Amino acid sequence: MDNTPQIIIRMGSHAEKEYILKLKNKAFDGIIIGANIVEATAGATASLVGKKLNMPYYIDPMTYVFGCDLDGIRTERKKKGVKKGETEISYKRSYESLANKFGTFFSGILESRTPVAPDNFPFSSIKSICQNVIDYQLNRIREEFIKDDDYKEYASSINNPACVFSPYFYIPYDYNDSLSLFLKLSETSANINPRVPVHSVLCADPGLLNNKSFIDEVVNKIPKTKIDGVWLWFSNFDEYEADEDSLRNFKDLVKRLSQNNLQIYNRHGGYFSLILNKIGMSGISHSIGYGEKKDVNQIKGPPNAPVVYYYLPDIYKRYGVDAIERCLPDLGIKTPEEFHESICGCIICKGVIKNNPSAFSDFGEMHYAKPTSKRPSQTPAAAKRCRYHFLMNRIMEKDFVSKNNLDSIKERLRQSKYKWNGFDKIIQFKHIDNWLVSLS
Amino acid sequence: MLDLTRESSLLNPVTGYIKRKGFCVHDTEMPFYHRSVDIYGYSKRNNKTIAIELKLHKWKQAFKQALIYQLCADESYIAMPQKYTSRVNLDLLSEHGIGLISVSEVGRCRKLIGARQSLVLRIDYKNNNIEFLQRSKNG
Repeated sequence: MDNTPQIIIRMGSHAEKEYILKLKNKAFDGIIIGANIVEATAGATASLVGKKLNMPYYIDPMTYVFGCDLDGIRTERKKKGVKKGETEISYKRSYESLANKFGTFFSGILESRTPVAPDNFPFSSIKSICQNVIDYQLNRIREEFIKDDDYKEYASSINNPACVFSPYFYIPYDYNDSLSLFLKLSETSANINPRVPVHSVLCADPGLLNNKSFIDEVVNKIPKTKIDGVWLWFSNFDEYEADEDSLRNFKDLVKRLSQNNLQIYNRHGGYFSLILNKIGMSGISHSIGYGEKKDVNQIKGPPNAPVVYYYLPDIYKRYGVDAIERCLPDLGIKTPEEFHESICGCIICKGVIKNNPSAFSDFGEMHYAKPTSKRPSQTPAAAKRCRYHFLMNRIMEKDFVSKNNLDSIKERLRQSKYKWNGFDKIIQFKHIDNWLVSLS
Repeated sequence: MLDLTRESSLLNPVTGYIKRKGFCVHDTEMPFYHRSVDIYGYSKRNNKTIAIELKLHKWKQAFKQALIYQLCADESYIAMPQKYTSRVNLDLLSEHGIGLISVSEVGRCRKLIGARQSLVLRIDYKNNNIEFLQRSKNG
């Protein structure tokens, strides 16, 4: 069995496909696309997955959204058939469309404005609910091809997704009924026995990582559902901020589940999760340039464009360009060669820093996006540099993890800590200590 | 008496203080990458720039920012209410050349430690900031 960790890139929008297309042959193992994105851009997604990309794909059914505060998927939009300028608050079209495709249970949830909960779940219809969600993942891309006269002949050659996910909902700290629902959905989906592996998403309160009863129950009962894999998603669980106990419990969970022949993924993971490949993690998923943690609750209103920080390879974490730049003189970096040796020698950094390390500031380049802008923001070019640099490093990290044992990986962590020890007033890296302790 | 529960209440006393020392000061926060320097001043007479980070009590956070501002200012300071300055590790600040200004409850400022000339100053950042400052002063 190949023990190389898999990296599945989560595509947050079609604006990100440029990165995926450029790097697809480098080392990524697949892409995962939320079903809401599929619904919002069905043609473009089908074209990307069915024609342009020749790599495994996954469609995340995003069913958890229908069990959360439904205001998170409502937005202000233009009213149909009225004067220009009139708006209304209603469900986002992508989720409305998704609910309709998943069937009457999900569309009814939106109509009644009552999120899915164990006490309103129609257990008598569980099989058809699972079947609909699985059929969606198996057929949605193909259907898009069939709709198009020019492409329908290719529909049969579209690959199946790498796996299908059972419907899943958030499991709160008071977990009993929600865990039962999760297990029932997993078991029912596995029994449908579609032509691809069935995985589920354990989407839960992060506090449950430290709840021994929950963990024991999960480890004992999930294998009995006969699903093939589990994607872990402890809401907002952050490898960089988590304490030693949470990290150790996370590690132990991965180890125990994987010993039951289950494929284990972290739905939003970083380098720590990649290291866990050594004790049973099959792979990780994250977005382009961010997304190594995610809150289960949807952001209300338009999302702010975040600053894309520079990923410091030694420390496996992003920092402001200014903070890293402040360390360069004290690290004795005066030439591009010294920069590439000491900070990063990826193809992007070699391209940006050719003559002088001061060009490092290009990763944090700012501008006033509009004449009316009050504050400067990162230029799109700078954000792109940071993203590509991050992705190149993630590929190298995958390679390093696959070729080294856990002791060597830990030794490199120790070396990083030693090298940056004098800079801890500017570059905080408590996570390295926590990782080392939890991996011991 | 100043309301020293709000960081912004430090702004006027500290701005007044460095103006009296001959610095021309930017009216609003000075952008530096994704951050904003609370007070950035320029003394034409000495061709010196100064960056000041205002903090009520989280001096370690201010220290980090002040270290970073050594990239764009000749001198980098932290300004804090007098009643919290006893918590600050003065040796650490001195070691790194960061200055400290205390602000009393009546708004009187006192330099507890003088900042040293930054050894990591980038002249292009300094010049850009001076230009930005002069442009905004000229409307």
